[in-house]
Amino acid sequence: MALPNPALTQVPDSYRYGWHDAEQPRTTFPKGISAEIVEQISRVKGEPEWMTKLRLKAYRHFEARPMPKWGADLDGIDFQDIYYYVTGTDKAAQSWDDVPDYIRRTYDKLGIPEAEKKYLAGVGGQYDSEVIYHNIREDLEKQGVVFLGTDEALKTYPEMFREHFGTVIPPNDNKLAALNTAVWSGGSFIYVPPGIHVELPLQAYFRINTENMGQFERTLIIADEGSSVHYVEGCTAPTYSTASLHSAVVEIIVKKGARVRYTTIQNWSHNVYNLVTKRAVAHEDAVMEWVDGNLGSKVTMKYPSIYLLGERAHGEVLSIAFAGDGQHQDAGGKIIHAAPNTTSLITSKSISKGTGRTSYRGLIKVYPGCEKSKSTVRCDALILDEEARSDTYPYMEIDEEDVTIGHEASVSKVGSEQLFYLMSRGLSEAEASAMIVNGFIEPIVKELPMEYAVEMNRLIQLQMEGAVG
Amino acid sequence: MTTATALTLDADAIGRISDRLEEPGWLRELRATWWDRAEATPPPTGLEEEWRRTDLSALPRGGELIADPPSLETVVPPGTSEGVILTDLRSAVREHPDLVRRFIGRAEGQASHAHFWALAQAAWTGGLFCYIPTGVSVDGTLVARTALPSSEGTYLPLSLIVAEEGSSVSLLEEVASPDGGAAWFGGIVEIQAGQGAQVRYANLQRLGDGAWNIGAQRVVVGRDANVTTLNAEVGSKVTKVGLDVQMTGKGGTSRLLGLLAAGGDQHIDINSDQDLHASYTTSDLLYMSALYDRSRAAFYGVTKVRSEAKQTSSYQECRNLLLSPEAGAEPIPVLEIETNDILRCGHGATAGAIDPIQLFYAQSRGLDRASAERMIVRGFFEQVVAQIHDETIRARVLEALASRIGSEEDLAA
Repeated sequence: MALPNPALTQVPDSYRYGWHDAEQPRTTFPKGISAEIVEQISRVKGEPEWMTKLRLKAYRHFEARPMPKWGADLDGIDFQDIYYYVTGTDKAAQSWDDVPDYIRRTYDKLGIPEAEKKYLAGVGGQYDSEVIYHNIREDLEKQGVVFLGTDEALKTYPEMFREHFGTVIPPNDNKLAALNTAVWSGGSFIYVPPGIHVELPLQAYFRINTENMGQFERTLIIADEGSSVHYVEGCTAPTYSTASLHSAVVEIIVKKGARVRYTTIQNWSHNVYNLVTKRAVAHEDAVMEWVDGNLGSKVTMKYPSIYLLGERAHGEVLSIAFAGDGQHQDAGGKIIHAAPNTTSLITSKSISKGTGRTSYRGLIKVYPGCEKSKSTVRCDALILDEEARSDTYPYMEIDEEDVTIGHEASVSKVGSEQLFYLMSRGLSEAEASAMIVNGFIEPIVKELPMEYAVEMNRLIQLQMEGAVG
Repeated sequence: MTTATALTLDADAIGRISDRLEEPGWLRELRATWWDRAEATPPPTGLEEEWRRTDLSALPRGGELIADPPSLETVVPPGTSEGVILTDLRSAVREHPDLVRRFIGRAEGQASHAHFWALAQAAWTGGLFCYIPTGVSVDGTLVARTALPSSEGTYLPLSLIVAEEGSSVSLLEEVASPDGGAAWFGGIVEIQAGQGAQVRYANLQRLGDGAWNIGAQRVVVGRDANVTTLNAEVGSKVTKVGLDVQMTGKGGTSRLLGLLAAGGDQHIDINSDQDLHASYTTSDLLYMSALYDRSRAAFYGVTKVRSEAKQTSSYQECRNLLLSPEAGAEPIPVLEIETNDILRCGHGATAGAIDPIQLFYAQSRGLDRASAERMIVRGFFEQVVAQIHDETIRARVLEALASRIGSEEDLAA
C-alpha cells in the first residue's frame, strides 16, 4: 500500500472546507505607529529580512516628511489614533449594528445580497462565490498567471516579488506611500506571462477571504511582454470601514507591447480619508489605462499616474468623481512622457452636490527629446448646487518642441432648459437631474464592466434623490 | 538734487526719497507705512505655488535705486478734454495732491506679489498718473514712455490709472532699457475703472537683456465697466508679472491679453488671479507665447468665482508655440468655482510646435523656411492682435515684436 502523500497531510486545517482562511496570529497591536510596531508587523507576517529593513526605511521617511499642505484639508488625521495592523479575528468583532444607516439603506436600494452586504460592511467573510473563484483560478493557473494576495506572493515568489516591489513607487516617494510601505498588508499580486491575454477582468472580489480591501493594501501587477489584463478593484456599493485612514499603494509594470487596465470604484463610507498612490510604468508599445471612480470617502486624494518610458507607449486616465455633502474628491491623473512618440489622454468628469467639492489635479510632463508626443486633457465639471464647489488644477511642463499638448476644461450646471424639457416629458426633477448626470458621466461609465455600470447609474440616481449621502 | 549720494533700498532711503522730492507729510507717512508692510511681508521663498517656476535667488537686489529717472515722454492727442491728466507721478503729487491722495496706496497687492507691491508703494521714484474725469472720453491714444538710460540699478515705478464713472480711455505705457548690466525693474500698475468706464491699457515691456522684471498689475473693475489690458513682453532676462483682476462691480467686463515673444535664455512667468466677486461679470484671459531658443514661459492663472457671484462668465486660454527643441512651456490654468450659478466657465491650454503641414504649405508657395515660420507665428499672434482695436497700440506692439517674429515688410519682400 502506498504511503499517504506527505504533501496532503500537510494541508492545514483551514483548507478543509475548501477555502483559504489564512491563520492569523493572534497578536494585538495598540493604536499608533512606531518603529517597533513596524518591526512587529513584519515579524508577525514572518517576512524576510530585506522586507523588514525596507519597512523600517520607509517608516523613517514617513516620520521625516511633512504632511502635504496642498490639496485637501488633512488636519483631521491623527496618525497615533489609528490601528496599523488588525488581524482577521479583531475585524470580525465588528457588528452589523455598527454599520451606519445610510449605508444599509443604500445596500437595500441597490438590491445587494445579504452575504455581500455583510462582506462590504466588513462584518463577515464572503464565501459564496467559491465555485466561480475556483474555476477562474484553475483557468489562470493553466496559463501561468499568478493571482495571489500580496503577503502570500512574497512567500511564494520571493525573487520576482523582490525584483519589482517598490520599483515603481519607491519607499520615499511621498509621506503616505512611505506609510504604506512601512505597514502594508494585503492587496493583490498579479503576474501575467508573455503573450497571455487574461480574458475576464480579474477582481479582488474573487480572491476571497484575503485582505483585498484593507486599510494599507499593496498591489503589484506585472504584465510581461505582449500580455494583457484588466484588474478591477473595489465596488460601486458603499464599503464600510471603521478605520479613518485608507492609504494604499498600487504599482504596475506594463512591459513591451503589454496592456493593462486598472479599474477602481471607490465608495468608502464618509468617515474615511482615502489617500492613495497609484503609478504605472509603460514600456515600448505598451498601453496602460486607469479607470478611476471616486464616489465615497470624506476626503480622497488620488492621482493615478503613468510613466511612458518606452517609445509609442500610450497612457489613459479616465477619472470620475462625485462629491456629496461634506465630501472632497481631489482626484485626477499624471502622465510623464519620457520617450518619443508617446501618447496620452486624460478625461475627467466630476460632479459636486450639496456642500461637496471636487478638484481635478493633474500633470502632463514632457521631457526633452520626447518628440512627436501627444497629450490631450479634458476636464468637465458639473456643479449641482449653489454651495457646491469645483476646482481644476491642470499642471503642464513641456520641455520638448515637437509635441502636441492640449488641455481643456469646462464647468457647468444642469441647464434649466434641459431640466424643463425632461420634466415636460413627465419626469420628476430628481429623475431628470439624474438622467442629465448619467449622460454627463456616460463616456466613463461605458468603460466599466457591465455590472458596475448598472450599479453606478443606480447609485447616481439614489444620490440625486437625496436618499443617501 | 542730482548730486546727492546714491540710494540703496532700505528704510533710510524711503525718507530720503521724500526729502528729495519735497513731498507732503501724508505721502511720507504713506511710504513709511508701506515700507513697514514690505518688511512684514517676506519675499517669496520659491515654495509658493506662484513662485515655484521662477528662481529669485539671482535677483540683483543690491543695485543703486534710480532716484532721478528720466522724465516721462507723454503723448496726449490734440483736443483732449482739459480735465484729463497724464503726467509722471512725482509731478502729479505736486500739481494734483488731493486727487493723487484720494487714490494712491490704498489697495493691498496680489498675495503672490505682496512684498514687491509694498516695496514699490514705499520706494517709487517714477511712474505715471493718469486721470480721466467723469463722463470724459479721450479720442485717440494716450502714450507714456520711459526710456531708462542705464542697464543697471533698481527701479520701482508706480503707475496709477483712474477712469471715473462713464469715462473712456486708451493708454499705452512703454518702458525700455539698454542691454548689458543687471537691473531690477519692479514696476507696479493700478487701474481703477469706475462705473461704466471703458479702459484699454497696453503695457509694452522692452527692457534690456539683463533686467529682472518683477511687476504686478492690479485692475479693479467697477459696475458695468469694461477694462482690457494687454501685456506685450518682449525684453528682460526674467519676467515675473502678477495680474490681479478684481471684478467688484455687477456687470463688469475684463479682458486680459498677453503676447510673449521670447528667445535666448529669457524666462517669462505670468501668474494671474481673476477674482469674480460680483454677479453678471465677465472675465476672459488670452495669453499667447512664441518661444525661441532656450526660452521658457510659465503661466499660472487662477479664475475664482465666489459663491456670491452669480451668472458670471469666464475663460482662460494660454497657448504656447515652441519654436526650438530647447524651448519650454508650463501653462497651468486653474479654476476655483464656488457656485453652480454660472453662465460659462472654462479654460484651455496648449503647447506645441508649428504644424509641419502649415509649414510645408507655406514653403510650397515659395517662402523660405524662416519666412514661412515668421508668417505662421504672426498668424498665431493674430488671435490677440485682432482684439487690439487701437491703431497706435497695435502698430507699436507689432513693431516691438518684429525683432522676433518679423514685420509685414519682411513678408512682402
